[in-house]
Amino acid sequence: MRHRSASSARATNQAASVTRAEFLGKVLAGGGVLLVGGLPILSRGPRSAGAVQSPRMDKEILNFALLLEYLEDAFYRDALENGALSGQLLRFAEEVGRHEAAHVELLRDALGSDARARPTFDFGNATADPQEFSSSAVIIEETGTAAYIGQGANLSSAMAVTAGRIASVEARHTAWIRDIAGREPAPHAADPSMTKREVTAAIRRTGFLT
Amino acid sequence: MEDLSHEKVGAEDVGERGFPSGPANRSRAAFLLSAALGSGAVLTGLASAAQEAEFEPHEIDVLNFDLTFEYLQAGFYDEALRFGALGGEATRWASVIGAHEHAHVDILRTVLGPRAVKKPFFDYRGVTENEDAFTKTAVAMEDLTTALLTGQVHDFRTPALVSALFSLITVEARHAAWVRNVVGVLPIAAPLDEPKSLKEVAEVIGSTRFMKENPITWAKTAPRFTG
Repeated sequence: MRHRSASSARATNQAASVTRAEFLGKVLAGGGVLLVGGLPILSRGPRSAGAVQSPRMDKEILNFALLLEYLEDAFYRDALENGALSGQLLRFAEEVGRHEAAHVELLRDALGSDARARPTFDFGNATADPQEFSSSAVIIEETGTAAYIGQGANLSSAMAVTAGRIASVEARHTAWIRDIAGREPAPHAADPSMTKREVTAAIRRTGFLT
Repeated sequence: MEDLSHEKVGAEDVGERGFPSGPANRSRAAFLLSAALGSGAVLTGLASAAQEAEFEPHEIDVLNFDLTFEYLQAGFYDEALRFGALGGEATRWASVIGAHEHAHVDILRTVLGPRAVKKPFFDYRGVTENEDAFTKTAVAMEDLTTALLTGQVHDFRTPALVSALFSLITVEARHAAWVRNVVGVLPIAAPLDEPKSLKEVAEVIGSTRFMKENPITWAKTAPRFTG
């Protein structure tokens, strides 16, 4: 039976703590920053920033966000239906599940007839076993948070405001579940972003999308 | 967090916590800063924009307001830790969060360069001397910063600033959720965080009387605010 556990650290590689040595190694090996004569020739900025904003791009980004919110919504619904959780985890799933359902509604309203259809998901053990639920929730919430950070600057101003208000709630979710799981709630002074490609890859790695 | 001592970055013009702050050092400082914080693209993009002086006057004003609030927070955590009234668990989260607020001060000072406002004088009026009062105030402050930053998303036109803002919003939101959980309050009140204007935030800060200068007056003397 295919192992659905999303406990692999790779999906949260971007979001997990990185030591300075690791970071410098990544960066100087051909990442975004070069040193020339002691001065940094910096990359033009986040790959996604500075992209021309447009209603079409807004729709694309919101539909991308909607996919993530569908995933989160279904994940919590499934876990609650399975009766898998108790105590803090149950409280977390109930509260956060309500928020994700609201996010789905908000994005579907904003997109109207352009809203993508709800996909089917298979969470396997991740919504049946509390430990797997916990580690999967961390990955999902971290990925969602990083996705919003990655897209914020690409949205038109009005949509960016809403995205910021959702991103902060996703971050609260992330800190909460990390705290429950005994992990550092805020591992960075400034949170990393993930590109659309990186987010897509992370979601694919979970195996939850059928 | 990596120690950025004088020896490593040169003895010239060091600012708070030994961080290089003179104009000549800003690009180097920005690189070191992003390396220390380990968040890659978001901050290097910001540092790049700062180098090229792409910010509008209004953006500078807003960033300076943020800097003042970050100074207030950093000092608040510092003082509580120094005073020593916190238990083991509180000492732990106060240390981590306080370090982040200091990092935010460093980021904003790096970005603003010579346009950065000076650190004001704060009087925390005994709040840092009692764990219960300190914790409740920390919750309020972190929620307030989150509201302040989410309220600024429309203020920034520079894409690098919007990106950086998002990556700070999420950190302050994490802080807020974390400390709320510590206190036993729900980490999140609603599906969307409620933004506040600079004026509203200035009023709340004013009501604490932590700042000798009235922040509302201070906010009004700066050229342009969205209010």
